[in-house]
Amino acid sequence: MLNEWLLSLAEWLDATSWSTSIHESYYLYAWIESTHVLTITIFLGMLFIIDFRMLGLAFRKVPADVIADRLDKPMMIGFSVMIITGLLLYYAIPVRTTQSIWFRMKVILLIAAAINAFTFRTKMRQSVETWSTQPVAPKRIRNGAAFSLAFWAGVVMTGRAIAYDWFDCHKDLSSFMYWAAGCVYELESHSSGGA
Amino acid sequence: MEILSFFEWLDTSFLATISKAYGGTFAVIQMFHLLGLAVMGGMVLLSDLRLLGIVMRDVPSEIVVENTNRWFTIALIVLIATGIFMSSAVALKLYYNEMFWGKMIGLLIGVLFVYFIKRPLLSQDHSTLKPSTIRSVAITSIIIWFSVAASGRWIGFS
Repeated sequence: MLNEWLLSLAEWLDATSWSTSIHESYYLYAWIESTHVLTITIFLGMLFIIDFRMLGLAFRKVPADVIADRLDKPMMIGFSVMIITGLLLYYAIPVRTTQSIWFRMKVILLIAAAINAFTFRTKMRQSVETWSTQPVAPKRIRNGAAFSLAFWAGVVMTGRAIAYDWFDCHKDLSSFMYWAAGCVYELESHSSGGA
Repeated sequence: MEILSFFEWLDTSFLATISKAYGGTFAVIQMFHLLGLAVMGGMVLLSDLRLLGIVMRDVPSEIVVENTNRWFTIALIVLIATGIFMSSAVALKLYYNEMFWGKMIGLLIGVLFVYFIKRPLLSQDHSTLKPSTIRSVAITSIIIWFSVAASGRWIGFS
């Protein structure tokens, strides 16, 4: 099953010496996490501005394709830093993160945001010349921008929640929650204890 | 002493009662604080990087500054409102936290800088200003707001 496979991958990563080094180095972990958090100003900052432009909330007099095009590069630089630091944060605490319901929701939201971004870009490139100078983008583009804002806000919120232990495996949770969070061992003992 | 009594009062205020009674409230408010950070940081970076001639060079800097100003203020209000709530939840702990005071001083300097120096200066035609003046304003702004955000993150580590 997927939960078992993900857990064994996490346990394997956890056993590597670098994972322990990052985790146990107070400053290195804090630096990576701070970089991860502060880079949202570059990545999400630029992304929000593009979405705001499509929704007519900012830069209404500047052509939409100019905003989307000029901010693409800084946004992607921010995105790369977020991915690298994010992977390092996962690598430093792999088992707990794999078994975090919030991390799992974050990954699902990231996939949703990626699919939305891809379709949004395609739709925008096909038609942008016809509406670029209008203060507000057409409805289907606005929907894409609204979904983008919602998905990324969700990514930030679930990401922040990973730090809280409300639904960690060592807590007394329902079978569904054990399964959803991937608490493989707890689910086994829970179901055998209940039988 | 007076500052300490303010924090003691904050620690027993109704805001603190809410966040102590419902642990999730603090986390949710903190999430909105982060979203505010994304918007504010984006506006600071876009306006300052434009002033430095690094991004959006083909859009007049006056237009970029004008558009980012409004969202900067909205984000600042969200950040201060959520920040007050978060502070009330851990008021006494923050009173003894050096990073917190570092951040507050940075924030005060930042607000004064933006509303009394940066905005009045940039409200005039940018071509009438010396390029070195514009560059120093942009660099100062990035340094101040980066320090405020970074020291904010570090409150949690210290």
